Amino acid sequence: MALFSIRDLTFTYPLKDIPAIKGVNLTVEYGEFITVCGKTGCGKSTLLRNLKTALTPHGAVTGEIYFDGRLLSEIDLREQTQRIGYVLQNPENQIVTDKVWHELAFGLESLGYDTQSIRLRVAEMASFFGIQDWFMKDVSELSGGQKQLLNLAAVMAMQPDLLILDEPSSQLDPIAASNFLETVKKINSEIGTTIIITEHRLEEVLPMSDRAVVLDSGRVILDSAPKNVGEELLKLNHDMFLAMPGPMQIYAGLIKAQKEMGIDINPNADQNVDPNIDPIIDPNKAAGMSCPITVREGRKWLTEVFHAREIRCRDLDIAKKTENETIIELRNVWFKYSRNHSDAIKGLSLNISAGQMHCIVGGNGTGKTTALALIGGIHKPYRGKVKLMGRELSKYTKEELYNGIFGILPQNPQSLFVEKTVGLDLFEVLEKKTLSIEEKEAKVKAAAKLMEIDDLLKMHPYDLSGGEQQRAALGKVLLLKPKIILLDEPTKGLDNHFKIKLAGILNKLLENGITVVMVSHDIEFCAKYGDQCSMFFDGNIITTNTPNRFFSGNSFYTTAANRMSRHKFSNAVTAKDVIDICIQNLKTQES
Amino acid sequence: MKSIFAAYHPAVNFTFFCAVIIGSMFFMHPVLLCISWSAAFLYSIYLNGRKALRFNIVFVLPTMIIISLINPLFNHRGMTILGYIRDNPITLESIYYGICTGLMFGAIILWFSCYNAIMTSDKIICLFGRIVPAMSLIFSMVLRFVPKFKTQIITISNAQKCIGRDVSNGSYKERIRHGIKILSIMVSWALENAIETADSMKSRGYGLKGRTSFSIFRFYARDKGLLMIMTVFITVISIGAAAGVTNIQYFPSIKIGEITGFGIFVYTAYFLLCFIPVILDVMEEIKWHYFRSGI
Repeated sequence: MALFSIRDLTFTYPLKDIPAIKGVNLTVEYGEFITVCGKTGCGKSTLLRNLKTALTPHGAVTGEIYFDGRLLSEIDLREQTQRIGYVLQNPENQIVTDKVWHELAFGLESLGYDTQSIRLRVAEMASFFGIQDWFMKDVSELSGGQKQLLNLAAVMAMQPDLLILDEPSSQLDPIAASNFLETVKKINSEIGTTIIITEHRLEEVLPMSDRAVVLDSGRVILDSAPKNVGEELLKLNHDMFLAMPGPMQIYAGLIKAQKEMGIDINPNADQNVDPNIDPIIDPNKAAGMSCPITVREGRKWLTEVFHAREIRCRDLDIAKKTENETIIELRNVWFKYSRNHSDAIKGLSLNISAGQMHCIVGGNGTGKTTALALIGGIHKPYRGKVKLMGRELSKYTKEELYNGIFGILPQNPQSLFVEKTVGLDLFEVLEKKTLSIEEKEAKVKAAAKLMEIDDLLKMHPYDLSGGEQQRAALGKVLLLKPKIILLDEPTKGLDNHFKIKLAGILNKLLENGITVVMVSHDIEFCAKYGDQCSMFFDGNIITTNTPNRFFSGNSFYTTAANRMSRHKFSNAVTAKDVIDICIQNLKTQES
Repeated sequence: MKSIFAAYHPAVNFTFFCAVIIGSMFFMHPVLLCISWSAAFLYSIYLNGRKALRFNIVFVLPTMIIISLINPLFNHRGMTILGYIRDNPITLESIYYGICTGLMFGAIILWFSCYNAIMTSDKIICLFGRIVPAMSLIFSMVLRFVPKFKTQIITISNAQKCIGRDVSNGSYKERIRHGIKILSIMVSWALENAIETADSMKSRGYGLKGRTSFSIFRFYARDKGLLMIMTVFITVISIGAAAGVTNIQYFPSIKIGEITGFGIFVYTAYFLLCFIPVILDVMEEIKWHYFRSGI
């Protein structure tokens, strides 16, 4: 008997014509690890929320959900609370109490356990999750990763049979995220808890999962093992493929090249291929290898492809962008938050060229965000100089800086919204300017168009998805006509489609001569779209270079595509680079 | 300095503070007041170190002196007239009474400063959670949300600064408008995010019948021991109070009971009660000193 079996589930939100999920059939076996993926707004969260009555939103439901052989709606809330654990997206908002130990006990208190049994369970959880070091702390002292781990432990304290996680790591930095997902994996393999998870960062979750379920506009389009899902998506030519891990994308790119350009990627070029298999209809079998998911598999696959082939071209020619004049210059800048603190920035020197996208990458707490605040004039260095267009930053007035030079997009775009609708919010920026209403309207419209939010102007800002909120906030900032845009973690919590959209918009801005400086954990994004990358460590910049040289010079802190291909090619850092250089090499083989 | 008394069960801490604060309020006997005041003074310095010393000198002593001076100026009862200020008699009794009231106020302020250091929020929640579980959760949630909102308001005001909306410059009217805007963002943000908190609570069974209140504190044998010792002292003092050895009459003339053997016994009990935390800490110091020299 399956743990969950969903039959023909359709759910429609009130006042909506189109159902959010349509005719979903899904079976979840005991102990399975299932990843649900799909674009933002495809109905992932709606589906998951339907699996626990307490969290199901209002709306019309048809179809049946059986939990452990019984109808879910007939199982009382107490049993559901205990047996179905649910972890939500935002680590901060899920915590209810002020102490770590109290948070761990919260669910058990609700269920009415006595002090003795709560003490035992809480102690068990703290030991299993390695919480004992911060067990007595206030929750406000914890880092984001610790907070989410606490949420997970607080749910696990009730010993659920099933754990549902709705994008649990999207608000975490990569290290904390992989730590969190490892813990989820540990729960699955050591305790046998069934896991249903949705994620953007498929690189880490897919290799862990037994099955991947792909949703598209409310329907299940695929439900299979992760490897098969990759290949099926490829056959369907579905754009969800863009969200798949790097090795899978490279594989797909080459298969496509094989189909379109007739390049042979068969790894065993010297051996005879079974003539019964048509390489175009069934390229995988012809290639003798299945779709790689992890970097390790990708590396192995690439080795096989070039096993009997000579690599003639190891370097990719990258067109150099012309060097522009320096717009921001930091020279020997030192900063600390107060006299008793240690230095956050230590002798930082940095040049940022006009019209380029400058990415600052590095771990947590290395001072990246502080450096951005120094550039933007929010903090002032106690030693050293910050020069903006040849003039010292402190000589500018605040009016000049924030109304025509800098546009700063905060990490949380919600902190910019003040009005009832997005449209009014955009207008609000212009209220101080002496313009006629028509001129203002034209400006707002232009900004909305540039940000691709024209059809969202009537919505409340909080009702938008993360990516849309961010674009609305960026639109607001752009109405102030900045020359330099400072972004703090712009890709946090965005799925790949929104990232591509954001990159498109940033590119448009760059074309208009705007300089973009961004701080990010997202090295894949920086490698793809940045013009310059700087590595931040211990309050200083260790190295600055073009993404190409920058990432090919690193061996751990680099993209998946580079890690997968560095034994064959010297400077391919993005999936596209690897595909290009492979095609180049394969072509020369044939001629 | 971490006091060993703080490690005892909240019930023990709370009983102690109730006893000494009520004692300081009701016993106007100078001996008892001096005992209570000096215990509180010593313990507050032991707990908070230099900060407490500064607080005691800058705030508590002046308050005591002012109270002692004001009383004779307004209170003209008493038989022994020492002199006149603007035709108003100044009496010896009211001067004594003023000094004792000053001592009482001083002692209570000092005890409360110790109370604040010892009775942390989780201890209060533990005590009152037993009685009203819902209240203890609300209390805990408030303590969770205050720092959260504080950081959020800083985030919002920084973000607004970046689009030229600063509360720290501009005209008066503009500043107020920007401040209101920040508050309005704060409110919508708080409401929006509270939905997820509510979901998280619901998902973990909040609202089911029969909620219990868990507390991390355990009632050890030593808690029982100390509580029993305190009960003995409190009983002795209560008997003494009933027998009148703690009584004093200030007006119209000072009448104080003769010092008897039983009186001294009661005073000793009060002394030991007030000095319990200090005695515990001194004992602890000695014990560790010997431990260390034993190694």
